[in-house]
Amino acid sequence: MIWSKVLALISGHLTVFKHSFKKRVTLEYPEIKQNLPERFRGKPNWYPNKCITCKICMKACPADAIVIDKNEDKIEFKIDLSRCIMCGNCMYNCPKDAIVLSHEYELATDDKSELNITLNNKSEAV
Amino acid sequence: MNYLYFWYINFLTNHHIPKIVADITYPVLPFCIIAAAIIFAVLILVLAERKILGLFTQRKGPNRVGIWGIMQTVADAIKILCKQNIDPVGADKFLFNAAPILVFIPAMILWGIIPYSSEFIFMNFSVSALLYLSIAALPVVGIILAGFAGNNKYSLIGAIRSGAQVISYELPVMFVLLSVVVLSSSLNLKDIVYSQLNSISVFGWHVFPCIIGFFIMIICILAELNRCPFDLPEAESELVAGYNVEYSGMRFALFFLAEYALMFVMCAFIATIFFGGFLPITNKYISEMLFSNSAFLETFIYIEQVMWLTLKTFILVFFLMLVRATLPRLSSKSLMKFSWCILLPASMFNFILVVVIKYIVEGNP
Repeated sequence: MIWSKVLALISGHLTVFKHSFKKRVTLEYPEIKQNLPERFRGKPNWYPNKCITCKICMKACPADAIVIDKNEDKIEFKIDLSRCIMCGNCMYNCPKDAIVLSHEYELATDDKSELNITLNNKSEAV
Repeated sequence: MNYLYFWYINFLTNHHIPKIVADITYPVLPFCIIAAAIIFAVLILVLAERKILGLFTQRKGPNRVGIWGIMQTVADAIKILCKQNIDPVGADKFLFNAAPILVFIPAMILWGIIPYSSEFIFMNFSVSALLYLSIAALPVVGIILAGFAGNNKYSLIGAIRSGAQVISYELPVMFVLLSVVVLSSSLNLKDIVYSQLNSISVFGWHVFPCIIGFFIMIICILAELNRCPFDLPEAESELVAGYNVEYSGMRFALFFLAEYALMFVMCAFIATIFFGGFLPITNKYISEMLFSNSAFLETFIYIEQVMWLTLKTFILVFFLMLVRATLPRLSSKSLMKFSWCILLPASMFNFILVVVIKYIVEGNP
């Protein structure tokens, strides 16, 4: 009985020791970036030419981060990234795939107002 | 230590300073050497512990400050020195300040007892092995004072646990040391080292007849150092940080320093009594082969002896870190049961076994 315990102790220490020869899992972040999985959910991108202003994304958003306004033919898309939780509900509920969550995740900033993004279909930048 | 003493007196007389000044100021020299060595060793040990624990858990450990993170402990030390010392409400100020010092001083004395090389022993008493164990039990006094003076229930529970632990794990250590003393017929650490000198080099080490004793000793020093898996006094999940909950800044740094200094010196003690201390693994000293014609051959040999002891010590420290990375914490009850029901009988059995081996090998004296 005591020998089985001693053997368990020895094999435990050996297992831990073997781990020192395995590959490190640590990534030194700013220099080395991790390979993101395909379905990673980062900052939402809005494509104005696909949008039909159905406002389903507004209703689906659990954090109330998205607001869509329509004035005549100008569609305005406002997203507050400080509220957005990257849940992807807007993307999954959009009937025309007008919102896609990108792989961009480095969104930290010193100024909170930079996180309030307003886009419209008239401007060049998307 | 005569070597250092005569060197110092020679140095002063060459500068026309009377011998009486040398005699009075001489004790400062070993003190300075030990203090510098402790700080240097602790800086290395803390970094080594974090790096090696990272190694075992497939992480990198500290890697930002300096190249490969080697300056991390220096940065931590500077941070901890700049921190505020907080006196908790209702604390006994005098005892609260005295406790870290009472923990640190025994650690420093222990560093002086270890024979680093045949001429490099700061305190060479004829019963230095016994003296070592009696002083090694002293830090727990400081720990109990720290727990008591802080006016905090967590630190008091941690201190009581530490006291109980040290009392129950001191006895097997005594029996193991007794068997080593039987093997070497001496209580002087230098004589114990020389008794392991053998024509077949490594096989004269006491670890071979006393292998059970060696493992008992390793387990017991883990308990005395309050390290995993016996870190009940500092159990984070139950007691926040045990006896040093209320300490901050420099006082906490003293506890930390004492812990690692004790770890190093305990491993050096085990290397001394079981692994031939400063004796080389090979039959001859390497410097004897390399610099056989040099005028400084003796000095080279002294330096090499220190290197051998340091190497053996660091291998043992590595083993302690492996244990820390592997085993979970024991419960308070099984800790006591393990000591009194398994270790103590095992150490007595080991003592009898060693006596029989000694009788068979050397015959009736």
